[in-house]
Amino acid sequence: MSTPDDNEKKIPSENHDGEKEGNATLGFAILFFMAGLIGSLLVGWVVFPKLLYSQKEQPIDFNHQVHMDAVSDGCQSCHFYREDGTFAGVPTLAQCSECHESAQTEDPNEVKFVDEYVTPGKEVPWLIYARQPDCVFFSHAAHKEMECKTCHGDIGESTSLKPYEENRITGYSRDIWGDNIGGFGKNTWDSMKMDDCAACHERETGSKGPCFQCHK
Amino acid sequence: MNKTHNTQKAKKYGMVIDLDKCTGCGACMVACMAENNVPFKKDETNKLDSITWMHLYKLTNGKAFPETEICYLPRPCMHCEGAHGHPPCVSVCPATATDYDHGTGIVSQIYTRCFGCRYCMGACPYHARYFNWWDPVWPEGMKEYLSPNVSPRMRGVVEKCSFCFHRYQLAMDKAYHEGRKELEEHEYQSSCTQACPAGAITFGDLNNPDHQVHKIARPDNEHGGKPSATNVFRLLERLGTNPKVYYMSSREWVRRLGDNYLPHEKTGEIALGKQKGHH
Amino acid sequence: MKLDRRNFLTLGGSLVAGGVVGTTLSPLPWKLMDDSAIWTQNWPWTPVPPDGAASFNHSICTLCPGKCGITVKKVESRAIKIEGRKDFPVNQGGICILGLAGLQLLYGPTRIETPLLKTAGGGFKKISWDEAVSLLAKKLEELRSSGKPESVAALTGSDTGVTAALIKRFLFAYGSPNFISEQTFKDTYKIALKKMQALQGEVVFDIENADYVLSLGSGIIEGWDSPVKMIKANSALKTKKAFLCQVEPRLSMTAAKADKWLPVIPGTETDLVWGILHVILNQALYNKEFVAENTTGIERLSQLAQPYTLEKVSAATGIKSSDILSVATQFAKAAKPIAVCGKGQGSTPESMGHIMAVHALNALMGSVNREGGVIALNPASYISWTNPEQDETGKNGFGKERVDGAGKGNYPDTPFLANRFISAINGQGKSPVEALLVSGSNPLYSFTDTAAVKKAFEKIPFIVSFSSFMDETAKVATLILPSHTNLERFEDVSLCLGSGKSVIGLSTPVVEPKFDTRHTGDAVILLAKKLGGSVANAFSWESFEACLTETLGDKWESLKESGFLENPESLIAAGTRIDFSVVAEPKSMAPEGDAASYPLILIPYDSLRLAHMAVGSPPFLLKTVEDTVLKKNDILVEINPQTASKLNLSEKKYAMLKTPKGAVRVKIHLFEGIMPGVIAMARGLGHTAYDDYLSGKGVNFNELIGPMEDPISGLDVSYGIRATLTNA
Repeated sequence: MSTPDDNEKKIPSENHDGEKEGNATLGFAILFFMAGLIGSLLVGWVVFPKLLYSQKEQPIDFNHQVHMDAVSDGCQSCHFYREDGTFAGVPTLAQCSECHESAQTEDPNEVKFVDEYVTPGKEVPWLIYARQPDCVFFSHAAHKEMECKTCHGDIGESTSLKPYEENRITGYSRDIWGDNIGGFGKNTWDSMKMDDCAACHERETGSKGPCFQCHK
Repeated sequence: MNKTHNTQKAKKYGMVIDLDKCTGCGACMVACMAENNVPFKKDETNKLDSITWMHLYKLTNGKAFPETEICYLPRPCMHCEGAHGHPPCVSVCPATATDYDHGTGIVSQIYTRCFGCRYCMGACPYHARYFNWWDPVWPEGMKEYLSPNVSPRMRGVVEKCSFCFHRYQLAMDKAYHEGRKELEEHEYQSSCTQACPAGAITFGDLNNPDHQVHKIARPDNEHGGKPSATNVFRLLERLGTNPKVYYMSSREWVRRLGDNYLPHEKTGEIALGKQKGHH
Repeated sequence: MKLDRRNFLTLGGSLVAGGVVGTTLSPLPWKLMDDSAIWTQNWPWTPVPPDGAASFNHSICTLCPGKCGITVKKVESRAIKIEGRKDFPVNQGGICILGLAGLQLLYGPTRIETPLLKTAGGGFKKISWDEAVSLLAKKLEELRSSGKPESVAALTGSDTGVTAALIKRFLFAYGSPNFISEQTFKDTYKIALKKMQALQGEVVFDIENADYVLSLGSGIIEGWDSPVKMIKANSALKTKKAFLCQVEPRLSMTAAKADKWLPVIPGTETDLVWGILHVILNQALYNKEFVAENTTGIERLSQLAQPYTLEKVSAATGIKSSDILSVATQFAKAAKPIAVCGKGQGSTPESMGHIMAVHALNALMGSVNREGGVIALNPASYISWTNPEQDETGKNGFGKERVDGAGKGNYPDTPFLANRFISAINGQGKSPVEALLVSGSNPLYSFTDTAAVKKAFEKIPFIVSFSSFMDETAKVATLILPSHTNLERFEDVSLCLGSGKSVIGLSTPVVEPKFDTRHTGDAVILLAKKLGGSVANAFSWESFEACLTETLGDKWESLKESGFLENPESLIAAGTRIDFSVVAEPKSMAPEGDAASYPLILIPYDSLRLAHMAVGSPPFLLKTVEDTVLKKNDILVEINPQTASKLNLSEKKYAMLKTPKGAVRVKIHLFEGIMPGVIAMARGLGHTAYDDYLSGKGVNFNELIGPMEDPISGLDVSYGIRATLTNA
């Protein structure tokens, strides 16, 4: 910062050089601005997501496709509705054990599953990509005319489970916010935040719905 | 897609409590606490910070011995409809943490959305809302009984009776699963209604003439749900809050305590002029 | 370009500006904001109850004598809610406050997790079941070999069901007559039936079908008899506009709901009954047909009633003559009148004189063994074991005198005298009881004159508690053999309903035992086997469940399936003609203490919101207690404002309450609904055991009152005590 006296003295003598110098400074300033801009964009778009999410491997690398070929009733063969209309979600060990009491193949994942979970009778600590906060009540039954894929994507066709990316701050899966850190998505299943539910409800029913429709 | 919500006929869930049958036994209070994961503290004698979604008030006729009479009055959330779905609490919430469901008539409370300003508590004329001054603490082992159907609250948020809305959610799940879109009367009943040993509480859809609540209270839905059955009244009727909890008592002094009557005013007759200018 | 200060600032500023713009255009701030908002909603200490498949499991609640059917909702293996069972004949879906809070007992912090042995330092150490049972067997073996098997006694909360029968059988084979069970007003009514009708049976009060109920202080809607059943009965009375007249010094909830409340001076209720008898007999308003056919000795009754003129009764009771006359005539004119007694919840016996007068009143109106009256039923008799063989020691020991003197001498019809049991131990010299087994009872809290009970227990060298919870009695026990809670065990219940119906029910476990506990029945069987010889031979069963299966025989499977079985045939016990001539001469039972030094009368009051017997109130119950009953740790005593002003006492101020038995600091609550000169205190507070949610709150009423022995039954019939209240 300069005083008014300083300016009076300096401006006349530095007129020419100053212009050159000023242009250079401006150039540098733009350069630095760009550096800051690009740097921060890189941090925000590339580094930040890497820092934000930790990667966890599922306890067993489950092959959905193989199972889809083996069962008769599609997703609902394992992910079924209970008699009271509630949704059972991820199968329990008891359910899996109905078929996998002993390993049926030599697939290392199946062998591991039987040895580490079925035999000792231990529930598999699956990491659930679609897990919502406790305050959310999601009624599968109300949405049962929809395709599973609309919200859950192509997981049923997958041959292996992708790593579970856990948000270090919230503890929820990256799939809730969506793979794109900017929150952009092409598909209906790309993100599962409240706004996504509300947008669909508004589109389909004409109203976002009251709070208690999806909260408990 | 869930289109059903809009095509269904709007419900107006409400309650009628027969104060002649109510014995003040407290079962409704505990049925509520046990159902809704309501926390408790070592000292619950300061009733200003004691959370009781369903609260029993002891009323007395104020007369000296032996003319004294007492009557208990269970007070859940009234789930006010206000004039057009604007209950006092919903109107003041800056966070939209509470809303009025036009499909069921239930006033919600979303704990994770609430930031604890407590405007709603000030606005509620029935003291039905409670603030979590502390984080809930369950003694060793007691978390075992917590219900997964009601989200436990944290310090700094307001909570209140939800008419056991999770029971509606579960009943609807079953109905959808069975290909139905409507519930039978018995499929959705609040925990207090179910527990009351005296059978003093009746719960159901006030819009449905086949439901017991409608038959008992005979609400005049054209005029803000004012009860037309004899001996039936609502608390602070002339505030225009349009509550959905109705009370019955054969004792006039009890009915008079339900509102601020001037000595010359007749019980149950509300000067209509006073309701004007509500908006 | 020189990197002078100006350039440095310009370029630095550019970099920062670029960073700011870039950051704003990146998702970082927005995502962080969203995530931190979610973070604040998910404190790790806010529990997230795990979800899963829900199931509903039927059982029977055995926390009180009411025995309601319950349906427990479970999510996977966790019990999350107790509800009333809709198709159960007792409660038809209703449930009381204690039953609802049952999961706080099951999962609560006062559960005893393993067998415990008292250490020299007064603490407890954990021991295994094998060690515990061996230790107890060793002690009992010692007593037996020293020829004193009768010095072993058992004290239980109830004497019905297979568990109690196993304890009795154990004592029989081992050689002790000292099985003692707590007695309620219903047991005294049974004694009256035995005396007046020579019948042994269960008593049922068919209130819901009556059209005029005269209640002598019975808290019909406050936990009397079977709480939920009675609340339902009260609703039935309201619906059909039947009349309820409540005679009681205090405006209890029952009085508040009654059609007529008659405040009465405590202890003069019997005078009122005689006054009513006087009117009915003098005006010949009784059911002549019934009296002629089913009774004898009405002359004697008239003779006894003669002195009870309206004036005399009015003076004694404080009730206006006109009220007495109108109650008597209304009662007599009703089609189905019933008179009931047993104050409050009826947990304390009533004097025989009182009960016999009440039964005479019912009999005069023909309200015996008919709908809407007092019905005597033959109890269900599924326990049909033969007595086991006793060895010489067993025979000798069993033949000895009972410590409590019940069933003989002055008290031939009284089966157990818990109060006399305590006073016998407190007598001169060594305690006649050297080992005491306590099951389903908490005498150190629930018996009157706590100090005396404590003293007696200090004299007993070896005390075994079978409690599931660390209650007052368990705390002083030498050895604790913790029982499963009611939701973890099998228990048979026999229920007598109105209209001659009787039901056998089976309480089935709804959850796996949470801790290393055993059924008391199993503990007894283990103990017997360890003792060997004839004692072991008396127990052929492998386990309690095996015993129950065998005992219930062909009923077992269907009971396990449906939870209860109704007995198809009517079980009404007829007995002989009702003999009025045995009705005791009226005798006043004045409260302890002299009126000059203790001008007030202190009475207790019961409420469903506070459990006051063997089970302590769980935290939810304390939450429903009004701040006019308990404020912080201070109990409030109800007093009429008129009396309070005379004594210069005011609302919420401290006062000293003194009775001949003790003195405590209390707070004052002015209440218009209590008779002048009478003060009242809630029962169920003042625990010194359990957890911080219950312990140290208020005063235990039993500390302030002593036993008052009924001359005919010998039972403790105390209903109040004289007291003073002074500013503190």
